[in-house]
Amino acid sequence: MMGLTWYILGILSALLGYLMYEYSLKHPLDRISWTGLVLGVVLVLFSIAWGVGSVLEGVPRAASMGLLLFGFSGVIILTLTGRYITTKGKDTKI
Amino acid sequence: MDENNIENEQTPEEEQDNSRRNFLKFGAVGAGVAAAAVAGIEIAQRMEGVPLDHFPLPMNENYVRIDQRNQVNTYCNSKKLNDAHPERAKAFNNFNFHEKKLGFYRGPYRDHAEGQGQIDRALASAGFFGATSQLDYTFSMDTIDEGVGSWKQTMLSKDKYQFDSPKDATMSIKSAAKLFGAVRCGITARDERWDYDPLYDSKNDKMLTWEDDFPFVPKSVIVVMVEMDYEAIATAPSWITDAATGEGYGRAMKLAGQLTVFLRQLGYQAVAAMNDLSVSAPYAVAAGIGESARNGSIITPEFGPRVRIAKIYTDLEDVEYTPPRDYGVASFCLNCMRCADSCPGEAITHGPPTWEPTYSTDPDAIWQASNGVLKFHNDSRKCFQFWTENDGGCAACIASCPYNKPDFWHHRLVDAQNVIAPGPVHSFMREMDILFGYGKINDPIRIVKFWKTGDQI
Repeated sequence: MMGLTWYILGILSALLGYLMYEYSLKHPLDRISWTGLVLGVVLVLFSIAWGVGSVLEGVPRAASMGLLLFGFSGVIILTLTGRYITTKGKDTKI
Repeated sequence: MDENNIENEQTPEEEQDNSRRNFLKFGAVGAGVAAAAVAGIEIAQRMEGVPLDHFPLPMNENYVRIDQRNQVNTYCNSKKLNDAHPERAKAFNNFNFHEKKLGFYRGPYRDHAEGQGQIDRALASAGFFGATSQLDYTFSMDTIDEGVGSWKQTMLSKDKYQFDSPKDATMSIKSAAKLFGAVRCGITARDERWDYDPLYDSKNDKMLTWEDDFPFVPKSVIVVMVEMDYEAIATAPSWITDAATGEGYGRAMKLAGQLTVFLRQLGYQAVAAMNDLSVSAPYAVAAGIGESARNGSIITPEFGPRVRIAKIYTDLEDVEYTPPRDYGVASFCLNCMRCADSCPGEAITHGPPTWEPTYSTDPDAIWQASNGVLKFHNDSRKCFQFWTENDGGCAACIASCPYNKPDFWHHRLVDAQNVIAPGPVHSFMREMDILFGYGKINDPIRIVKFWKTGDQI
């Protein structure tokens, strides 16, 4: 089961990496945006791996704590980065 | 050429500038990758333990070899010893060690919800059967010259096998140990400091000496470890943990017995030992397969304290000894204290390592201590007292230890972090361990969960 999780996470990582690259070609991203996106995505993927691992070992509390600490942090970072990118885009247009 | 292209055209100076910038970027990325690789290698090496050229526990002139009669289990087994020392019972609230031992494991069934019902006791007895059946049905792992640990050199080959090199000898022994079920194996020189002196046969109330009674002069000691079941130990302090302990002893004993036959068939004399002949912990440390922990056990990477140790004394000398190793456990134990907080008998110290016990200075209360070693001194009398109250073993200090984890990737990641992190981070990791729901004792859910583990097969 963990092997399948790694496999899916690998595909997801590659897909998300490709999408970010494609996006950056159309809308060039600065260092802050790149850092925020990569960190956010890594944290979310890490939390998924942590959660699955914890459920498999039978400690659901560790799974929920992992999702809360890592996943939630990742989502917040991605949200802030998204807002930063869009705000910056608007500023540029002005 | 249109206007846009003209705008995008770069001057030679700009091109050179860009090229430099790219070079610096790639250089920075390369340096980052190289630094990460070096850090990774360093962490991996520390996780495997940093080899030491000395025994890691400091010792002073107050250290004396331990008299096996003062080893708590041996003492409890012997009525004669108890009769000879009424002051010891008096100094411990008139606790009669021998009588308590006789009544141990014989109380009525308790609450199955707490892992102390008939089925839990049956499991414990069955768990220990593997060990007791190899010890001529003696229910004590510190009995000398018994069963698998017999001193008789049966199956000893007349032809002495010559290994290609000391390294080859060590590798061959470790390979055999792995085949027979060891999760760790180290070899160290026989060190008389850790050997009981005198030895005591509590079954026959007889003192024995290494010089006159032991069948040969040991040169090396092979120390092996087997893993105990995670789910069973997690039920601590239920009777189910006894099943895991007994099962561990049984497998360790089988393994040690097989290694003695292996060595004897190679023409070398060998004797298997569990808790008899010597203190196992310092031998395990000296052989580099673990580190001394606050709870008095040995913590080994991946399994933590959830292991059983067996020793094989042999006259094989031409081996490459495995050095003691620093796994970062000592520094973690300084800050953690989860075992001390979890110990139902309050036997484990919350203090720093000391040369002498700190729980008492009364000689009638510290007869079982080993003075002169800078370590965590725990009161094994209190540990045993809780066993008798519990009418079974405990293992709370093993279950609660943050190093005691099943083999999942995220635990190895945390282990990697722990070997490089400074002390305050260890305290933080201890809190995280609690917050994430690990190491809880007296947890009825763990009992239910254990009795569903059959679903995994």
